[in-house]
Amino acid sequence: MLKDITIGQYYVADSVIHRLDPRTKILLVLGYIVMLFFAKDLVGMIPAFLLLAAAYLLAKIPGRMILKSIKPILPILLLTGVLNLFFVKTGQLLVDVWFIKIYEDGIRHALLLMVRILLLIVSSSLLTYTTSPISLTDGIKRLLSPLKAVRFPAHELAMMMTLALRFIPTLIEETEKIMNAQKARGADLESGGLLTRVRSLVPIFIPLFVSAFRRAEELALAMDCRCYQGDTGRTRMKQLHFGLSDLLAALVVVLCMVLVMTMPRII
Amino acid sequence: MTNQEPMIRAEGLYYAYETEQNAPLPIFEGLDFVVHKGEFVAVLGHNGSGKSTLAKCFNGILVPDRGRVLVEDLDTAVEETLYDLRRKVGMVFQNPDNQIVATQVEEDVAFAPENLGIEPKEIRRRVDEALEAVGMSHEKLSAPHNLSGGQKQRVAIAGIIAMRPDCIVMDEPTAMLDPRGRREVISCIEMLRKEYGITVVLITHYMDEAAKADRIAVMDDGKILMEGTPKEVFRNVARLKELGLDVPQATELAHLLREQGADLPDDLLSEEEFVEAFSKLVSPGKEQTTQPMPSLLDPEEIAPSEIALRSEDLSYVYTQGGILKKPALQNVSFSVKKGSMIGLIGHTGSGKSTLVQQFNGLLKPTSGKMLVGESDIWADSKKLRAFRFRVGVVFQYPEYQLFEETVAKDIAFGPKNMGLSEEEIKRRVETAAKRVGLTNELLAKSPMDLSGGEKRRAAIAGIMAMEPEILVLDEPTAGLDPKGREAILSDIRRYQKESQSTVILVSHSMEDIARFTDRVLVLESGNLVADCPTRSIFSAAELLERIGLSLPQVTKIFERLQKMNYPLPSNVLSCQEGADLLKPLLGL
Repeated sequence: MLKDITIGQYYVADSVIHRLDPRTKILLVLGYIVMLFFAKDLVGMIPAFLLLAAAYLLAKIPGRMILKSIKPILPILLLTGVLNLFFVKTGQLLVDVWFIKIYEDGIRHALLLMVRILLLIVSSSLLTYTTSPISLTDGIKRLLSPLKAVRFPAHELAMMMTLALRFIPTLIEETEKIMNAQKARGADLESGGLLTRVRSLVPIFIPLFVSAFRRAEELALAMDCRCYQGDTGRTRMKQLHFGLSDLLAALVVVLCMVLVMTMPRII
Repeated sequence: MTNQEPMIRAEGLYYAYETEQNAPLPIFEGLDFVVHKGEFVAVLGHNGSGKSTLAKCFNGILVPDRGRVLVEDLDTAVEETLYDLRRKVGMVFQNPDNQIVATQVEEDVAFAPENLGIEPKEIRRRVDEALEAVGMSHEKLSAPHNLSGGQKQRVAIAGIIAMRPDCIVMDEPTAMLDPRGRREVISCIEMLRKEYGITVVLITHYMDEAAKADRIAVMDDGKILMEGTPKEVFRNVARLKELGLDVPQATELAHLLREQGADLPDDLLSEEEFVEAFSKLVSPGKEQTTQPMPSLLDPEEIAPSEIALRSEDLSYVYTQGGILKKPALQNVSFSVKKGSMIGLIGHTGSGKSTLVQQFNGLLKPTSGKMLVGESDIWADSKKLRAFRFRVGVVFQYPEYQLFEETVAKDIAFGPKNMGLSEEEIKRRVETAAKRVGLTNELLAKSPMDLSGGEKRRAAIAGIMAMEPEILVLDEPTAGLDPKGREAILSDIRRYQKESQSTVILVSHSMEDIARFTDRVLVLESGNLVADCPTRSIFSAAELLERIGLSLPQVTKIFERLQKMNYPLPSNVLSCQEGADLLKPLLGL
């Protein structure tokens, strides 16, 4: 059923990582990703890997969640690996069978890239696992708000995200209802060629759009009645505070960054 | 609590809606209306009478063309004070879904105070207080889409209370709710009045809600036709019926008896008042006439060839992510006789909607069978679609499924899917349209240009045009005004008589069930708890109460009378029937 789709992938738990300020988490994940690209060697990836492993342990996220986030990118991961394996032609020639030639650098390069992509995905998943959509939007908004000086609509963007999150489940439910109603009138949504199938979506999409516009209109009215005037003079019930744990987290990540960049040289 | 100090004053309002092609459509032509501080005013009137337009004038969503609206001393036409005014006069709308902004209950309640720029700590205090007031504190961290309709509407009310308004205007806040949700919202309104002394303006189609008000205003065609206490207004039974409005059944029953010469007062509103007035005229008997409690599981004996629809030991379990969840239907068995009119009742979450989706194979039973006539609809899933044409299902709010350019084309969608010839499709569209009273002029229009009631009828015609053996209607009157309800129900009745087909009516309204069905099926948490003649279920007050449905007022009156030892049955279905039973006792 369509309803089963969960929006966002917030994993409810109480942990140090969950309690961090969303802004800290966003910035640190961004920093972490940049760091992944600085590592020139697999050895350099070791601290990055350890840091992420420690963060997952602290966040009390079970292993199956990590697997779940890796699953959809598995094909891309393998493809990148294989391509690099065959196309890097430097270093010592290791395998030479028929037209397949694999070089030492090829293996190294393929592994590095795969680990990099893997850590990238798993680290950004940590952000969405430990931060609710609300605080995520809030964090993004606060981080973007300095850009308001150059007329960047930070508040509007955040509001749009919130409303989208709010109404996606409602519209999914509605789609299901409309599909049922049209099926009850004998609409055939499953068979036929591409063109027939596209055409069979018309009775679903038109009512859905009509309803979405009606909802938007009513919502705008309701927001107006609740004195919504955009960002002007608006306060927030939940304030964000950088705390000691945010500082510590930042220090740990920075330390890790230094390690990653210097590690290959040390060894 | 009421004093004569005005909260809202509408003075000499003129307002006209802009229309695309034609001249502006005038709604008000010199309307005056006052809402006093601390008062509870109910505004009645059929759809299009101007009630909602008036409500929207109260907080400056609409500004009158001429005349003015004052909230205390603020004019709604003055831009500078608009938000001060909206803070004073909060507004709650019909559809709870479309008023909730945030993805978390407490965040949503905080929305208005945040917009007003209130200190975070104070917002926190107000949010907690508002949620406490509407009894939703335990859900403060929930996602709104997981709440029931009544709960959502209470969150919407909390979102308004958090502004600390002096007045709340509610535009049909209970129209889309089930009976339990309606009760939740109404007791919430009563509490607001008692605890906070908030002025309430309630626009409603439900007379039992209006009867609780201090004052009722009846609107028609942009004018206030009647104004006064509920007693003063409801005594005009004939006039209100003329306007397409209802009166409480106690009032109607007394009215019917008065017409026959009974010496009953004409301003009885509650069942207590009626029983008291009646007992002054007639003294009860010595002994209670006990009726044997009819059996609720009393399936009809039907010859196999006479069965329209049969459910055989049907169970359905919802799955989520491959894991079986709580069963929605458990071993449900029943048969429906050809040409009968059956009521299906049960509260939201009783498995009623799941069962409806089994009727035409939208859901496949986990175990057991659903049979149309003699054939199992799941015997060959390739032939499933054919059953959708034999069992026509009209879902709740069917008007949202309209999509074609014209009403006629939309009605033709089902017949076209059946692969009928052009002439046959044409004939069916015409017959169906006639059955629901849609004129040729309306058939040529776009569905989007029809009124709410017309859209509903067009959608029903779309199913009728498939000429199904069995027509299933899920809450066909939800959200309509009394006039619209009446029109749709009599269309269905006529359709059933003319076509001799079987009709299954799913409804929360025991009044509708009483008037239109021969037998009822009752579901409670996935189990079939009753399969009996409609009258029997009206003896089972306890069961109905338990599943969140309430008896019609007239039935409640007879229940009381019977308990007081009057020689009367308790399972009375309509006011007319009640009046006929009481006449001999009054010596008429």
